[in-house]
Amino acid sequence: MDIILDRIMPVPLASIQHGSDSIWGNFVEMKAGKHILLNASSGKGKSTFTMTTFGLRNDYDGKITYDGKDIKEFSPDDWTKIRQRQIAVIFQDLQLFPTLTVAENLFIKNKLTDTYSEQELLQMLQQLEIDNKWGQKCGLLSMGQQQRLAIIRSLCQPFEWLIMDEPFSHLDIENTNRCLKMIDQRCRELNAGFVLTTLGDSHGYQYDQELKL
Amino acid sequence: MLNKLLFKNQDKKQLTIAIIGAFMGITFLITSIHYIIKVNEFGKGADILGPNTLIVQKKVTNASSLNLTKTDFSIHELEKMRKEPFIVEVQPVLSNNFSVSFETSDPLVPYFRSDVFIQTVDKKFLDVKTSDWDWKPGDKYVPMIMPREFLVMLNTFMSSSGIPQISDDIAKQVKFKFKLKNDKGEEKVDVRIIGFTNEVSSLLVPASFMKYGNDKYSDGTDNKITQIMISGKESEFGLVEDLLNKKGLESKNAQMVVGRLKSVVGTLFIVVLGISIIAVLASGLVLIQYMQLLMSRNAYEVRTLLRIGYNPKDIIRSFFVYFVKIFGLVAGLGFIVFIVFKFFLDSMFDSGGLYIDKGMTIISIVSLLLAYAVFTVASYNTAKKGIFRQF
Repeated sequence: MDIILDRIMPVPLASIQHGSDSIWGNFVEMKAGKHILLNASSGKGKSTFTMTTFGLRNDYDGKITYDGKDIKEFSPDDWTKIRQRQIAVIFQDLQLFPTLTVAENLFIKNKLTDTYSEQELLQMLQQLEIDNKWGQKCGLLSMGQQQRLAIIRSLCQPFEWLIMDEPFSHLDIENTNRCLKMIDQRCRELNAGFVLTTLGDSHGYQYDQELKL
Repeated sequence: MLNKLLFKNQDKKQLTIAIIGAFMGITFLITSIHYIIKVNEFGKGADILGPNTLIVQKKVTNASSLNLTKTDFSIHELEKMRKEPFIVEVQPVLSNNFSVSFETSDPLVPYFRSDVFIQTVDKKFLDVKTSDWDWKPGDKYVPMIMPREFLVMLNTFMSSSGIPQISDDIAKQVKFKFKLKNDKGEEKVDVRIIGFTNEVSSLLVPASFMKYGNDKYSDGTDNKITQIMISGKESEFGLVEDLLNKKGLESKNAQMVVGRLKSVVGTLFIVVLGISIIAVLASGLVLIQYMQLLMSRNAYEVRTLLRIGYNPKDIIRSFFVYFVKIFGLVAGLGFIVFIVFKFFLDSMFDSGGLYIDKGMTIISIVSLLLAYAVFTVASYNTAKKGIFRQF
């Protein structure tokens, strides 16, 4: 799925002066399967990019299209299909359910598409070294543990794009590398593209395209 | 898991209050509708005269005995009464001013004959098809309503003659005749009983037959209106009674007592119905408001579910089904308690002499289903609005 941002200008960012290479106000094409790095300092609109591209905000001028279709014209059913099968997201604020256990946080997402078995989910937790938290309430985990859980949850679906909004902000280098490895493996399996938004660090990951804000 | 996420952490106190309110409202709603119908049905079918019907005459006083005041009604008096808003119908009861006797004319029944007093009753007051209450010269028989006390008298005669007594149904099959006569001649016409009444002591015939007899066999006296038939509106019997007292009119005591009782009990249940409707609406609103509160408390959960790919319809369904189940439980419990109430109330009415029918009323069940349907629609719309607000 190709995503095009056609002269997008979010209303809250309209009063700010943007550079000539910024995605805001310019034509940006994100071709299917590409690995994209979105590099910017705080307050430039990384989360706004995630939210608008994912259809959660529509307070912007310009047009965003998925394979040529204006996303403002999508119905709730269209968005449900897209969020279940075409675009996965790791939100900056993680969007986990603190009252549910780690296992339940994964099940509640996984059961929509039945992507992984319980055993596979446990293995993924093992890979990121939080398998011992399986039955623990998510709200009791540290931020780093919650971030790893959010990454695994985002992978519990088929997708064509994975949008990651500062996904490693609470992780050390070792854990970041483990997560990157898991993400890379999953993207290769699905032949999917991703957008990684960072505060300037590429985390040593190879990318095809770099976008600026 | 969705239910655990959305409904586990809630303030059960407010929910309990809303459930109790809805339960009480539903219980009183069915009970009051049921008894309004039953009280209004009371007396129907037992008498061929319609419900809320009184036959009244002017009180006989010393003055009227001395011919100082009249005991008959003028047309003007009848017109004035018809204009009262609580009166449905007023019609004169005409009497015969010719000689008439009533006799059996059936080989299966021994001969019996008696001079009788006949009166008319307008078809508007009868619980029978209006076409059955017509007569014209040449018809096979005259339809007649017999006072039940007359049948008792007939049965007393039968019993003393060693003949089996007859029931209402058999009496309707027996052939009778009227013998009309004056100095110049006489005539016999076949008669058929179409019903019985406890309210009148004379034989009742259609007005057309009375006119025929009065025209052909009159003894020459004036045909005065000494009795009238009044039909009052449901639950407004008190006003009818006031009018009768004000105008110095009297009726059979039993008719008055039943009418007064129906009016009081009916009014009481209408008041209860009003309170019940308010209670059901208020408790329904509290439940709906609670649903809104619950969705508001779970705004983060709902928003996140939508973001990770849950269809809004599935989340709407979760809230909708949860509250519809609660209201279903309330409605079911309300119905069960109504059945228990009904058992005790029916016994109380019986012991108070008000023998109302013990069957269920369809309308009370329909009202329960209607309340349920209204709540279902309201809860679906509330859930839909609340969920799409987070989309």
